[in-house]
Amino acid sequence: MAELQEATIVGTPALDGRYITEMDMWPLECPEFNRLYQFYDNLREGRFTTTKCQKCGHIAFPPGVICPKCWSEELEWVDLPQRAKVVTFTETQAGAPIGFPRPLIMAWLGFDKDSPIKHLLVRIVNCTEGELKEGDEVRLVVFEVPSHPIEVKKETKICDRVYYAFEPVK
Amino acid sequence: MARNTHAVIVGGGTSKFGVREATLFDMVQEAAKACSDDIPALKPRDIDGLLFCSTKVGRHSNALNTAPLIAHRLGLKPTSICTRLDTLCAGSNTGIILAKGLVESGIAEVVLVTGAEKSYLPQRWETNYTELAVNDHDWDSAMGLGVPPPFFAMIAKMHMKRYGTTKEQMAHVSVANYNYGSTNPKAHFYPKTLTMEEALEARLIADPFGLFDCCPLTDGASAVIIASEERAREMSERPLVYIRGTGQHATHSMSAGWPGETLAEWPHLKKAAEVAYKNARVTPKDIDVAQVHDCFTISEIIEMEELGFCEKGEGGAYVASGALNLGGKRPINTDGGLISCGHPFGASGARQSLELCKQLQGRAINQAKNPKFALAHNLSGACAQHTVVIYGTEPVE
Repeated sequence: MAELQEATIVGTPALDGRYITEMDMWPLECPEFNRLYQFYDNLREGRFTTTKCQKCGHIAFPPGVICPKCWSEELEWVDLPQRAKVVTFTETQAGAPIGFPRPLIMAWLGFDKDSPIKHLLVRIVNCTEGELKEGDEVRLVVFEVPSHPIEVKKETKICDRVYYAFEPVK
Repeated sequence: MARNTHAVIVGGGTSKFGVREATLFDMVQEAAKACSDDIPALKPRDIDGLLFCSTKVGRHSNALNTAPLIAHRLGLKPTSICTRLDTLCAGSNTGIILAKGLVESGIAEVVLVTGAEKSYLPQRWETNYTELAVNDHDWDSAMGLGVPPPFFAMIAKMHMKRYGTTKEQMAHVSVANYNYGSTNPKAHFYPKTLTMEEALEARLIADPFGLFDCCPLTDGASAVIIASEERAREMSERPLVYIRGTGQHATHSMSAGWPGETLAEWPHLKKAAEVAYKNARVTPKDIDVAQVHDCFTISEIIEMEELGFCEKGEGGAYVASGALNLGGKRPINTDGGLISCGHPFGASGARQSLELCKQLQGRAINQAKNPKFALAHNLSGACAQHTVVIYGTEPVE
């Protein structure tokens, strides 16, 4: 009964409670469901990338399958800076969304002047509460996140996933 | 735009806002009943259009095609429009913008815009179960961006650093709004008043916000009638309140697209307001009374600046000057705002616009002195979008 209750409340019973389809915390990253799978493959290789338009030169973030400036489909993957400075931040004990560890530290980052992205809201990991200060330098960190099953014809395939955050440069 | 008539807000009503022992549909029925009490000549068969505004639709955030369900519960048989809007915190003011277009183009004559949210659920965690879906899921939500307090706390820290805004100045907003709300029986926190001492000594929610700097989650529903001026005259003998101008501006979905130099600048609100002022043929100084999106005290301060009620950076001093109060320069959130009324997302915009309708008809509980022009504002999500609606006692010719 306890097991049934747990599966009923926190997960999707048909998936043995492995993930909550409506509230999956992470993107569907695999090529079967996402044309931007290259972004995640690049993360696996330690690269933080996005799409640049070969027609107008615009670098967009997040990446896309068209350029949001001129709607061209001629895009290439380019690297983004992996270090930035903390402009301001917040440490949340009570308000972290379900599934995120507490305290949840989120920071508003400022990138160098010549960076195609000026700012980004990110999660800060490998950092204890009270440790982070405004002006601190942080760097990209990539980690594994829970995988999910997909159905390919009559087979079930497991898709591994990664995601990224930033950590203090010590 | 070719215009057949002028759209007006005739009147409306709300359910009691608060922690309610009621379903979403119970509350929509209560709001519709209050709307019909406010406009006694209104008959359900007069209503040809329905815009239902709800973000989470209670416990079933994946509910679909809910507008026909609402129509059925209210005994409506819409013929011009019947659909739902999910513009989060700006849902029902978005409905009012669309209703104006439908009425003035001749597609609809009498539109009910109703918004509702059921936020309190059997277990606390259920309330924010779907919170990651209110932001850009794959990019910001996967970083942990959920419901707003942490994000707006960063905005407040930035505004304090750049412009010297203080916690005392922020407390002036919560004190003003609680005190207005203490006279509004429909408000979540009615009849609570608030002192500066209480505001400043409150328990910390997310630095620098104390408890009273934040609006609560709330259950509630609201309903207003938007109609052609000809149909409005048949229904009501009150002075007509015209929807003079509107603006809605979105610049980004995820944080990398934030349009301001820092989080303390909201150029997307400035732009939405510019468009609305231009359409309404007014300037900021013409606005006599306003309802702005005080999800947090800092929001109301930045909105005073970006709406042009004071200079950029002087919002803190402006709200501390007494300008917000009755008898002040420009009364703001005279029914208690989000901070005292609470914030059932889809219901808030129509609640705001109903208060402005009453102000311009001279029948508000906290009545401003002979207002001619009034402004409603909402922001949506993590400040991704701004919505502005301007009302007046005369139409734009």
